Amino acid sequence: MSSTLTTNKTQDFVSNIAENKLSLWNELTAIRESGLKALSHLEFPTTRDEYWKYSRTTKITKNEYQFKPIPTPSINLSQVRIAGLDTYEIVMVNGFFNEELSSLPKNDVLEIKSFEECTTEELTSYFSKNLDTISNFFSALNTAYFSEGIMIIAKGVSDKPVHLIQYSEGDKVISQPRNLFVTQKNAELSIIKSSMNHNTFNFFYNSVNEFFIGENSHLHYYNLQNYNQGIQVISTNVATQEKNSTFSAYNYTLNGDWIRNNTNVFVKGEHCESNLYGAYQPKEKQHIDNHTIIDHIMPNCESNEHYKGTVTDKATGVFNGKVFVRKDAQKINAFQSNNNILLSNDATMNSKPELEIYADDVKCSHGSTSGQLDEEAVFYLQSRGLSKDSATALLIGAFLGEVVEKIRIPELKEKVLEMYGME
Amino acid sequence: MISIKNLHASIDGKEILKGINLEVKAGEVHAIMGPNGSGKSTLSSVLAGNEDYEITEGSVDFLGEDLLEFSTEERARMGIFLAFQYPIEIPGVSNMNFLRTAINETRESRGEESIAAKEFLAMVKEKSALVELDQSLLKRYVNEGFSGGEKKRNEIFQMAMLEPKLAILDETDSGLDIDALKIVSHGVNTLKNKDNATVVITHYQRLLDYIVPDFVHVLYKGKIVKSGTKELALELEEKGYDWIKEEVNA
Repeated sequence: MSSTLTTNKTQDFVSNIAENKLSLWNELTAIRESGLKALSHLEFPTTRDEYWKYSRTTKITKNEYQFKPIPTPSINLSQVRIAGLDTYEIVMVNGFFNEELSSLPKNDVLEIKSFEECTTEELTSYFSKNLDTISNFFSALNTAYFSEGIMIIAKGVSDKPVHLIQYSEGDKVISQPRNLFVTQKNAELSIIKSSMNHNTFNFFYNSVNEFFIGENSHLHYYNLQNYNQGIQVISTNVATQEKNSTFSAYNYTLNGDWIRNNTNVFVKGEHCESNLYGAYQPKEKQHIDNHTIIDHIMPNCESNEHYKGTVTDKATGVFNGKVFVRKDAQKINAFQSNNNILLSNDATMNSKPELEIYADDVKCSHGSTSGQLDEEAVFYLQSRGLSKDSATALLIGAFLGEVVEKIRIPELKEKVLEMYGME
Repeated sequence: MISIKNLHASIDGKEILKGINLEVKAGEVHAIMGPNGSGKSTLSSVLAGNEDYEITEGSVDFLGEDLLEFSTEERARMGIFLAFQYPIEIPGVSNMNFLRTAINETRESRGEESIAAKEFLAMVKEKSALVELDQSLLKRYVNEGFSGGEKKRNEIFQMAMLEPKLAILDETDSGLDIDALKIVSHGVNTLKNKDNATVVITHYQRLLDYIVPDFVHVLYKGKIVKSGTKELALELEEKGYDWIKEEVNA
């Protein structure tokens, strides 16, 4: 396991995970190999690493964790269900699939199964196919020691969205769900991910999802993050797109002590559309970090990225968006923008939009703004009788609303608007 | 209705209002005229509660209350309405949503029931017709993409919806062509009754042909230096402000 290439601290952290995972070690050993190899030379990230410059991971790495399956948890799913929306449900508890609580499709269009039920061929053709799943310490940690995994294969147009509910509970527990989402040729699927946590203390949630968007297929992934206290979250999504496909990732964060989202999209076919939208509202001492990559490898594609946030109290927000346009990727339209409102003097926002273009016939733009609430607008609204609080709420709603409006499922849009208090 | 006594106000340490005295009774229309930089807009901002200005001296009594003790929204709920010279655009906030919130918070502060959706819509229909404001504009975001005239008509529409006791119209005529001016004036005149009052701040006498004032005041260097009836406005139109300046500076 250990290697002289890594420091003692990193080794200790990994071997502690390695020891207590033993009971879960099964025939999936083979696919963990690439992660184990990567871990032998990867270090804990520090703020000296550009990729982790604004997000300290010491809160995570100082702890010893254990996996903690809860076979019969008591969960009130109605808290996260979306009024008026019929969905399939996948429930994972501390990173383990709970079939009893889930309600899976019984049709030929949508196949949902745990890794144990997958054929070796199915697993090896998708699992960790993208090197981004082993390129940094935490992704590699998931690849080597994922707790359990689900594979969703859409073979056509799904009649309902899939609601993936990730439930977390416990003290010094690590949860490492690993999921593979595949849309085959001409398929269409929406996945909504909700998070719930209860009685969490120093909980470490480190998920990796891999998306494979087949030819002419469309996948929309909605990630709703509204956590209670006591959980550190690293959520990594890596998508690969084939020609004529659409991939949209929507990230709505309301609460979380410490959250790092990585969303990386590799556009490997022509005539693709990629959309990344996000809204975040860190408050108190929360820390919310969104890192994205859109890599245009092939020509004639379009990408739209818009993240907006309000930062208040002593909270910190981070946005880093990278768009690559490779040498042969001509005729690319790539738009990226990040807008922030700072609502207090102690709030911090680190925003870094980046564009690397190696092709010459492209249309790209990127921009970032961080400012304060428009005092003139607040005064205007107050002069009509609105309290300062409701004027502020109305303006924040208007500001974030722009990215919430992107949601394509009306019932879900209602839920998210309600979540941000802007119905 | 409102009694302003020896009002001094400054911004960034610079005194703009240097002792304003003004008394407006219910049922009256007052016009405040004056050259640029005389403090006309400052007076309206101060009355509306703009915190950028510091009140250094004086008092304002509004319906028996010490107005200066109240916040902007409290003043609005008490019945002060300011029609802005430059109404701001607020993208993302719909006209209707914002107005309903304004009405409901005002009602709530008075211990009244919130307005029923049906009643609200009927009111919108009636009041928007008053200033010939297209209903489709109301569904849009506050003033976003509105023409200058549409913005001013939207101000009077909001005034009609909120039914203030004292309306202060800050250069509402600026930038309006004669047709728009007639529409806006018609709106203001229709809303006028024996229980409310209007203060019209303007640069030009032209507006006063349509909104006929009971009193005209000239503001210069932060003070009301001359008061009279509507004939004073005509005199100003004819002779300009120089003779007033000379009188004051003499």
